[in-house]
Amino acid sequence: MKVKHVILYFVLFTVLQVSSQENLYVSFSIPANLKENANAIIRSNQLDITINAVDDMTVYEKRIITVLNKEGNSNIDAFVHYDNNVKIKTLEVLVFNQFGAVIKKVKKNDFKDVSAVDGGTLYSDSRVKYLEYTPISYPYTIEFVCEINTKNTAFIESFTPVNDYFVSVENSSYTISFPNDVTIRTKEKNLEGLDLSKESLQNKISYRVKNVEAIKPEQYSPALIDILPTVVFASNRFVYEGVSATADNWMSFGKWVYQDLLNDTSDLPESTINMIQNLVKDEENEIEKAKKVYQYVQDKTRYISVQVGIGGWKPFKASEVDKLSYGDCKALTNYTMSLLKAVGIESNFTLLFAGNSQRSMDENFASMRANHAILSIPNKGQTIWLECTSQKAPFGFIGDFTDDRDVLVVTPEGGSIQHTKKYTTEENLQIIKGSYSVSDNGDIDVKATVNSKGIQYDDKYLYESETERDLDVYYKKRWKYINGINISKMQLNNDKSAIEFIENISFVAPNYSKIVGDRMLLPVNALNRNTDIPDRYRDRKLPLKIKRGFKDVDEVEIKLPTGFAIESSPDNVVIENKFGSYKAEIIVKNDSTIFYKRELVINDGEYPKEDYETYREFYKEVNKYDNSKIALIKNQQ
Amino acid sequence: MKITAFLLSICFCTSMFAQNFSFGKVSKEELEEKFNPLDSSANATYLYKYRRTYMEYRQEEGFSLVTEIQERIKIYSQEGFDYATKEISLHKQNNDEEEVNSLKGYTYNLVNGKEEETKLEKEGIFNTEKSKYINETKFTMPNIKEGSVIEYKYKIVSPFYWNVDDFEFQHDIPVKNVEALFEVPEYFNFKPVSKGFIPMNPIHEAKRGVIRFTGKERGQMSQTEFYSSELIYTNNTTKFMLSNIPALKDEPYVNNIENYRSAIKYELSYTNFPDSPLKYFSTTWEDVVKTIYDSSNFGKELDADRYYNDDIDALIATVSEPIKKVALIYNHVKSKIKWNGYYGKFTDEGVKRAYLINEGNVAEINLMLTSMLRYAGLSANPVLVSTRQNGIPLFPTIDGYNYVISAIELPEGTMLLDATSNYGEPNILPLRTLNWEGRIIRKDKSSSTINLYPKDISKNSSTMLVNLSGSGNLDGNVRTIKTSYQAMKYREDYIGTDKDNFLEKLENRYSGMEISDFEVKNDTDVSKPVMESFKFTLESQADIIGDKMYFSPLFFLKTKESPFKLEKREFPVDFGYPLNNRYMVTVNLPEGYKVESIPEPFALGLPDNLGSYKYNIIERGSTIQLIVEAEINQPVISSLYYDALKAYFSKIIELEGGQIVLTKV
Repeated sequence: MKVKHVILYFVLFTVLQVSSQENLYVSFSIPANLKENANAIIRSNQLDITINAVDDMTVYEKRIITVLNKEGNSNIDAFVHYDNNVKIKTLEVLVFNQFGAVIKKVKKNDFKDVSAVDGGTLYSDSRVKYLEYTPISYPYTIEFVCEINTKNTAFIESFTPVNDYFVSVENSSYTISFPNDVTIRTKEKNLEGLDLSKESLQNKISYRVKNVEAIKPEQYSPALIDILPTVVFASNRFVYEGVSATADNWMSFGKWVYQDLLNDTSDLPESTINMIQNLVKDEENEIEKAKKVYQYVQDKTRYISVQVGIGGWKPFKASEVDKLSYGDCKALTNYTMSLLKAVGIESNFTLLFAGNSQRSMDENFASMRANHAILSIPNKGQTIWLECTSQKAPFGFIGDFTDDRDVLVVTPEGGSIQHTKKYTTEENLQIIKGSYSVSDNGDIDVKATVNSKGIQYDDKYLYESETERDLDVYYKKRWKYINGINISKMQLNNDKSAIEFIENISFVAPNYSKIVGDRMLLPVNALNRNTDIPDRYRDRKLPLKIKRGFKDVDEVEIKLPTGFAIESSPDNVVIENKFGSYKAEIIVKNDSTIFYKRELVINDGEYPKEDYETYREFYKEVNKYDNSKIALIKNQQ
Repeated sequence: MKITAFLLSICFCTSMFAQNFSFGKVSKEELEEKFNPLDSSANATYLYKYRRTYMEYRQEEGFSLVTEIQERIKIYSQEGFDYATKEISLHKQNNDEEEVNSLKGYTYNLVNGKEEETKLEKEGIFNTEKSKYINETKFTMPNIKEGSVIEYKYKIVSPFYWNVDDFEFQHDIPVKNVEALFEVPEYFNFKPVSKGFIPMNPIHEAKRGVIRFTGKERGQMSQTEFYSSELIYTNNTTKFMLSNIPALKDEPYVNNIENYRSAIKYELSYTNFPDSPLKYFSTTWEDVVKTIYDSSNFGKELDADRYYNDDIDALIATVSEPIKKVALIYNHVKSKIKWNGYYGKFTDEGVKRAYLINEGNVAEINLMLTSMLRYAGLSANPVLVSTRQNGIPLFPTIDGYNYVISAIELPEGTMLLDATSNYGEPNILPLRTLNWEGRIIRKDKSSSTINLYPKDISKNSSTMLVNLSGSGNLDGNVRTIKTSYQAMKYREDYIGTDKDNFLEKLENRYSGMEISDFEVKNDTDVSKPVMESFKFTLESQADIIGDKMYFSPLFFLKTKESPFKLEKREFPVDFGYPLNNRYMVTVNLPEGYKVESIPEPFALGLPDNLGSYKYNIIERGSTIQLIVEAEINQPVISSLYYDALKAYFSKIIELEGGQIVLTKV
């Protein structure tokens, strides 16, 4: 009797198990809240990481994902990267239709196998196997199973249940197992409000989440990486390309980078050392010396990315760069550092996340993650940052690629987290001084000088090397609201020492000012009209973030056509709020001359999502006032 | 007589280059040059481009194709540094693969007035297996500075002797001197096809070639006899000597810039080996058609019907009207077999398999469609097409076509079908196929050209009713009907996207608009026009100055900026299809205002009836009625009309900005 019960229970249990598992292959069983804003739903994701030894890690992944529409095809992520250190043990895919029936099986050898070199890289030994699948109908479900073994334990995959916009998660679990002689550190981010369970044992840590809704991208919001729920893992002892390391904080991690990756790469031939010392011998000041060295590197080298084995983290030798005159970010940074050392200037190799999104290294959690290298020169609290892959950037100018974020500075003593240069609202300044005259048929003749600094410099200075044909189109696009522009002068001046970009532009445009009977309608702001309004969201979900502020100042003298008088002109405007300010003023100098002054300031900052609509309203106001017109009327004679 | 001409041509060739282009003989003048005197905007320039492609016979392996390359490039500025990196793509198939050898390169710089050379070492050379079919050799030159001259040479040996890479003479940077040779033994006949605007002036010569055979034969009495023999043949040589080829610059609204790049393509038309019959590949359209049709991946696929006959019998059992049969079969294929994204005039896995697994390439889908239509008694035939990406085929070549669609000849005219596009309909082919002419192949293997450009006008017709408030805000509704290509484009954007996101995008396109009651009809019924309607509000659409109100009655429907910003244009403007846009706007004026003036009606035209524009406006008490109609009648407009086109768009923008003035009563 008892036995029977047990058997019955057992049978029942397995049936239940099976049916709940099978449910995952059926598209209509997806909860409604997970379908909202979703192109794909991760029905279940199981990631099991087993560190067998400090140089032996197995990663098993089984993912069931239902794709709702064509946009979701890119989220099946059925691929695996491999190289000499990675062995693929299992790789297969099953495709299910919406009713849960298998419609296709794909085995390891049917995956496409290609070199994983991206556009910017000349060579890499990394390869990728990926699934190529043409959906027959939507929705469909993919089950992806992959198991690999690797000798590199430096990078442990994070627990990131959602990894893209428009993807929701029904179930996701993560387990990491490790031997006694390995300690695993964890760092949790953005887990508040999740249906989460976790377990931490002596040799095993697991996480599980359920029902994570999809995120929709919104303008002026924090970067995706900063809002995703994530648990990051790192091992205190690891092996990278055969080099072992012990590191449990940035100090010790930095020490390892210095000793094992950088220390033997700063060799330079005697002749180069003499040459560089000779080059700076007349400069007294360290900064001036560094400027000369930086200029030398910019003139000599170019960026070429080659990633082989440990070369993913260890720079080429300085002598190699000296000979070839090219290298990747690590190589060029290391080369510059070596040259600076030769003239007695201390500088430090710096690792970071590059890109517009200002992603920071985690101050309290050391792990081997970064995608770029720059150089820092300590300078009495005013650290100078050098981007060594650019042939054009002014000395000490890093722009929006590496600004305002926490980075790892590597010194012989170890690593430390520092913050790169932030370009403030006041620094990101654009001043337009110009004049235009209006003819009696409404044509305008414009002369303008545009002076840009900070991030506004960054936006423009590369135009210096554009061809005339492309520049002509560029200016027509900048002033796209003026029809029929004919440019007569484009004189650009890149002042690299002051870090200022100066554009002198002259153009004419017909019928700018509209003639309506006896009147003329003159849109007063010809040179810097804001045309964009932030997007409207029916239901804003993410906080408002303005990454970089800026300030625009315009002063324009306007010559009115003879025979016309001002009938009415817009009132002066002053708007001030926490997001910034807007001022527009018209000063009548005499019958034929007026001055237009405008100032727009947008501050950087973070605000709750409720503020987004107010911010948008502010832009709408700016847009409206930027389109203000003066009515001119023909003199009665 | 013939000999004199021949000698003259030799003299002409050898005296053509005053400079020395032997490998390694880079001159000081070349190093000192600061910019290209013929194009000062060039970031780099090919000083010399040499290529010799010839056949080599190896007794064991037969013929292989050898290409020798030598290039000398001047780099003027940092933007030209990309030309210091070269990528060589190499085909492979089964155990055969193309190989690069004898690669040598040097960078030359002027250092303190002295020429300095740096050798390309092996650490600058990278070999990658890109995929199952492609290897790649890349190299990047050392010590590159502004002003450097680089020079490299290498040899590619290919077992695929029938596959000659295009001789490209024009690049994104200027080319100063080209010397190119193509040498073929008399046993091969290659057909040249040229494109671009640069005269090539090929120089033909015949040279003597020798093939030596050696071998050993075991004779009687266990003696081994060695023998050798020689075969003397004629090597037909074509030589190109070109100079000062300008850079090719892309322009907006060009169908495919590659159609205009000066190059020569060689395609094998027949082989004629001693003691073997002539073997044709292609020389005339008849040959091309025959070769394609006879391929097992084409003609046979049209004949197979067993795999679908039951399904089609059932599908069309109750209909007799041909046009209804077409609709049923076309929709059956569209819904049953999904396009896997691959082009091709030949089937890959075969029609039968495609039908079974519900996916296929272009040929599988459209040959199957043609076959089914024939099975149902319609006069359907395949049409070979060269996609926009593939360029325009001017001469009979097999590779000239890379795509196939289906045509039905009906009493009312020819109907073109492509079942790879979800939103296509009869005579509305996907844009990728709209490239001049296709070639229809009939059952008797005769063929003729067929114009692919759509004749039907794609229409967009919007009716808008708005109320303008005293504060300059708008509320109203718009109803838009789209046909043909304009409908297809809409469906591609709309179907399968999240409705809320679609709406938000629409609102944001008209900065600040707020939309309600959004509705789309016939989105999935492609036989009918798409209809979109919504209500909206939009602020600040009029200027209120003093006691007057000014606004342009087209509001957000106005053409905002001209698509033609370039001052000069080299290539035709490709609109893809003829189009007609019509707007009917009714504006209810705010109370307390009366009309002071309205813009004059106007009409504009492009020369030769290429396009026209009409703007009609009337005032009716408290409403304004406006009808605007814009037409482009030709899908492709020659660059000769560019100035007219540019002026036309500029004028439209100017006149559409015409203001209505209201005065407070």
